[in-house]
Amino acid sequence: MKTTFRLLSGALVASLLTASAATAHHSFAMFDRTVEKVATGTVVRWAFNAPHSWLYLNIKNADGSVTLWSFEGSAPPSLLTRGISGTTFEPGASVTVSYCPMKDGRPGGGLGWVKLANGTFVNPSDGGCDGSVKAIEKWKPWLAAGYTSSADAQKPK
Amino acid sequence: MNLDRSLRCVAAATFFALIGAPSTAVAQPGVFGGGYGPPLAVVSPPRAFASSEEHYKFLLAAAKGGTKHTITSVPRWDGLWVTAGNTHMNSFIDPPGFAGKVREGVLTPPYEKAYRERWRQQQELGEVQYDRLTHCEPPGYPRWLLEPYSHEFVNLPHESYLINDFGPGIRRVYIGQDHKNVFGTHSWYGDTIGFWDGDKLVTNTKYLLPADFTRWSPMTSNQFESVETWQLKKYPGDVERLEVQVTFYDRHAFVKPVNAVYAFRRAKELEAAGHRVQHWECETSNNDVLDKGTTTSRLPGEAGFKDARGTTLFPDLPGQSRDPIYNTTLPGGKEQK
Repeated sequence: MKTTFRLLSGALVASLLTASAATAHHSFAMFDRTVEKVATGTVVRWAFNAPHSWLYLNIKNADGSVTLWSFEGSAPPSLLTRGISGTTFEPGASVTVSYCPMKDGRPGGGLGWVKLANGTFVNPSDGGCDGSVKAIEKWKPWLAAGYTSSADAQKPK
Repeated sequence: MNLDRSLRCVAAATFFALIGAPSTAVAQPGVFGGGYGPPLAVVSPPRAFASSEEHYKFLLAAAKGGTKHTITSVPRWDGLWVTAGNTHMNSFIDPPGFAGKVREGVLTPPYEKAYRERWRQQQELGEVQYDRLTHCEPPGYPRWLLEPYSHEFVNLPHESYLINDFGPGIRRVYIGQDHKNVFGTHSWYGDTIGFWDGDKLVTNTKYLLPADFTRWSPMTSNQFESVETWQLKKYPGDVERLEVQVTFYDRHAFVKPVNAVYAFRRAKELEAAGHRVQHWECETSNNDVLDKGTTTSRLPGEAGFKDARGTTLFPDLPGQSRDPIYNTTLPGGKEQK
């Protein structure tokens, strides 16, 4: 625990010296980062590769049909340091994801956090959406209340 | 999730942010992974030189022809490395970073005009509209110097191999040799010769294709050349940093040569996580910005989608799946065998 705190402290101090900016090799302009949504689906493929990973999920629609959704995440060298590998999301597994939707309405988005079937949260996000611990903690009560959109969760009661 | 696990998650996420995020220590965009070791400082050449060749020969003479290393004495830079910052944008953009303006008088008029348009796109759209990497073309040089993710550096007495995981992109440094260009043309990484000055590797690169420093940086011409000095330095906190002092020459693009320093740090956390350099699957991440909110991205099942893990051109032959462990398919792909 002490080691974790030292690592955390060092990382946070160092983070104060940094500024965020686009670090990927392509654009995140297609994702609406002002809204976060949540969906549950079945893993079709976890493409763990540079320059960006992709998580493909079959997600059931209200009418019972299924749509293939595509979510873009970070690159392997960074995912590995977060404990995520090419076998973390295996085909057939059920996962819940947060994502920032594509602005043009197509079935895709920037990947935020992923909740595994055993309840564990992991963060495979890149610049397309927020999958940080802060985002996870923000979502936990919203998930418990049944929300699937940050816009709905933040509406005045 | 218990508290300890949560903290580990935060620490890891923050740690990654440091790998990928530019450092404000130099307050400029595109440094990719600053924050390890002291702020980078540019060491300018001892005097002005008319060309990279004159610069290189001056350094070679100063090193009395260079150190003749053997397989046991040549500096070892084995292992995985990641970028640890650079200063190149300090020459082209006035502070503060992405909100800054193009500095006048550094680039020649046509290159400055072209760069102003690129910078306008970066500021207004958040991205430039075209980037050749999104078409799976190589970063080329000098962009190779700042590409993120992982790097490997292998030194032998007569040749050094400088490897980036895009592609991968490999630069070869021919030690103690003269330039050669038997292909009769220029290329993405050009021709690099070098010599050792003790533990410092000095290089001269020429015969390059037109490229850029990165997508939000100035473009370079086919007369772009460089002189680099590589040296491994160690800092408190067990930081090992390879620092590359560079002078860039380009008679078409620059009013006068430009100096910068780039750095790589040893990535022990990647080695511990089992990372090994792989060829990219860049097909699925292609997109150019068309306007705010629209890009050329293609999803599975859409015309133009390229499935990096789909079938080969010979789907009827057994064993032609490019996803042989999980054997997945996406719409638009053909049945796996």
